[in-house]
Amino acid sequence: MNLSRWGSGILDRGVGPLFLVPALLLLVVLLVGPFLYMVGVSFTDLSFALPGHDGNFVGFENYRRLMREDPVFWQSFGTTLVFVSGVVSVEFGLGFALALLLFHHVQRRRFVLTLLLIPMMLAPVAVGLMWKLMLHGEFGMLTHYLRELGLLGPQTALLGNHDLVLPTVMLVDVWEWTPFVTLVFLAGLLSLPREPFEAAVMDGARPWQVFRDITVPLLRPIIALVLLLRGIDAFKEFDKVFILTGGGPGTATELISIYAWRVNFRNWDLGYGAVCAFMVYLVVLILCAVSYKAIYWTEGRAVK
Amino acid sequence: MTEHTKSRFGKLLRLSAAVGSVSLTLAYAAEAGAWSLEEAAAPYKGTTIRTIGESLPPLEAMDKLKHKFEERTGITVVIEQYEHSEAVNKVMLDLNSKRGRYDFILQPHRELGRFVANGHLTPIERFMNDPKLRDPAFKPEEVLYQGLWKEISWYEGKAYGFPFTALTMYLWYRKDLLEDPKERAGFKAKYGYDMQVPATWDQYRDLAAWFTRPEKGFYGTAIQGKRHEALWYEWLNFLYSFGGDMMEAKSGSECGPIIVNSPEAVESLDYYKGLVKYSPSDTLNYFWDDVMVAMQQGKAFEMIMWNDATYAVEDPSQSTVSGKMGFDLIPQGKGGKVGQVEGWTYLIPAYAKNKEAAYLFIQWMMAFDQQLEQHMNGGASSRPDVYAAPDVQKITYSKASMDTNAVAIAKPTIPESPELTEILVLELSNVLAGKKTSQEGLDDAALAMNKLLGDCAPLKFPVK
Repeated sequence: MNLSRWGSGILDRGVGPLFLVPALLLLVVLLVGPFLYMVGVSFTDLSFALPGHDGNFVGFENYRRLMREDPVFWQSFGTTLVFVSGVVSVEFGLGFALALLLFHHVQRRRFVLTLLLIPMMLAPVAVGLMWKLMLHGEFGMLTHYLRELGLLGPQTALLGNHDLVLPTVMLVDVWEWTPFVTLVFLAGLLSLPREPFEAAVMDGARPWQVFRDITVPLLRPIIALVLLLRGIDAFKEFDKVFILTGGGPGTATELISIYAWRVNFRNWDLGYGAVCAFMVYLVVLILCAVSYKAIYWTEGRAVK
Repeated sequence: MTEHTKSRFGKLLRLSAAVGSVSLTLAYAAEAGAWSLEEAAAPYKGTTIRTIGESLPPLEAMDKLKHKFEERTGITVVIEQYEHSEAVNKVMLDLNSKRGRYDFILQPHRELGRFVANGHLTPIERFMNDPKLRDPAFKPEEVLYQGLWKEISWYEGKAYGFPFTALTMYLWYRKDLLEDPKERAGFKAKYGYDMQVPATWDQYRDLAAWFTRPEKGFYGTAIQGKRHEALWYEWLNFLYSFGGDMMEAKSGSECGPIIVNSPEAVESLDYYKGLVKYSPSDTLNYFWDDVMVAMQQGKAFEMIMWNDATYAVEDPSQSTVSGKMGFDLIPQGKGGKVGQVEGWTYLIPAYAKNKEAAYLFIQWMMAFDQQLEQHMNGGASSRPDVYAAPDVQKITYSKASMDTNAVAIAKPTIPESPELTEILVLELSNVLAGKKTSQEGLDDAALAMNKLLGDCAPLKFPVK
């Protein structure tokens, strides 16, 4: 009796937040610390390759170089934008459609869902290697059937052709991540209240009207969440593309993360590499802020 | 660099082959003296030395040999084997963190400049001048290909190690098909001359065109078109052979006027690009492993490939074409007989904890018996006497290796050279992918090289 009163007394006096300390400590050590270090390095000339570049302070020189003198960076930035907008919109449309199909028309959802989730459960490196084999120009299964169907010439390979390679790696990403979108939407659909739907049907609304005026507005937070998560993930995409093409041919699939890797771990130009990595962070931050706003904007409206 | 290096290699080859056997006899006579490996290693008994290198036949062969050293000295040798880039990256991190995980390292010589410039290495003289460590019978200045040693393990006139492998590229072709009467008759009818081992690049292209049969999954050649170092290495053969080079410099540790966009270089790249249509469909996604597999599976007629991979194509347990292969120098262009050399070298980091024990192991590995055994199991020795050994002479690709060693041209090893590689890989890849013409790509490469190196490397050919 006394003990519990004593306990709650301590909590009242504001000891509660102390329990957050271990988690915060981890966050500082593993995230905030390295991040600040990276920002620090981005103002230096640190390079493991060149003599005399021991981390001397150079001010905004690296940032200036990025803005003014590095067309390859901006090219890969553009490629990344194409990649992200492409995969996220296809995954979104396809995933949403699949979720609706499962929700309305499929009885044994659990079984289908398990099958659907397989691509997502594989390690990205495994996905990359698997597709590399399937798309191989000489003994790839998919290449073989595409050629049988006459969709691919005997001297063309999906991963070796400058124009086809980016859509191909995007397709692999769609294959891997659409199930995730489906899963989240399905969970969202299952959690929606039944009443508004029943009321709408009573009022004689058509299925399309129900979808447009009830389902979509109610799912808005989920939509924002899906776009946010997939957007961030796609922006950071590295492993699959790295294994499939290494960024080539030429710069056809050089995403910003691959470029940053090149600067950091091929040229060991760590000062400049930090700026490239910082740019990735900046874009992701903006994405987060926008989505965050979108979620709250929706809730605000819903309250009205 | 071209003429200079070539004549030097040629002379040294003849010289060292002659001197090799004499010096060996002398060396063995001198060994009667006091030095023995067991005695020299006694203070280090029980220590463990660790090294790292590329997981390929030469290192696998060393792994199989090391137990002999361990039994004689009581020193344990741990060998970490990784893929090429991984092995380079791990060393880079170890050296920069100054942790001294590795007691000696095996690295490609293009890394040498940045290691030396950053003070990461211990010059090998320190051990060579120590009578307790130096085996008097080991005379690298007599028993190694001097040119290879200087290019692979020296920087600015100082020795930092010994060549682990002398890696060169030469012609691989399907001898059985070249000798097939039906093919010969058909070829002659079409091209008007007898089918033969290609001596010129025109002949090389004719053969590639003749054997390209995509409907049967067979191709004239296979080029290493992936955006990867492999692409640059392969193109260098063409560049040198067409009479071009990257820079005009006397040695790898100097820079000089940039000539990578010379007319010869552009011509070589145009020619190289022309081979894409005689290659498998995803040749632009191939690097050395992929073309090797294409050859092992009997899917290509000819290619320019590495000597340290040749073992794998002649090994019946992993190749369907072993015994059917022929090997020779690459075809000749304006540049005459050439080859490109990339060596991996033994080096001892400044931060290593057991430098002396590491030196003893390296010295032991460089001795004739170990070099011979390593070479027979897929190594690429830098000792002419190894190539002269009767067993080695029997290996089908021995002559091609030796001939290429003699005419091999070295490449820059300045601290910026890995970045030069990146620049060229990018532009070569752009050209092969059809994004730029050969002239545009090489002009852009020349500009980027100039920007990286500054005043010491002016542009020799105007950028259009």
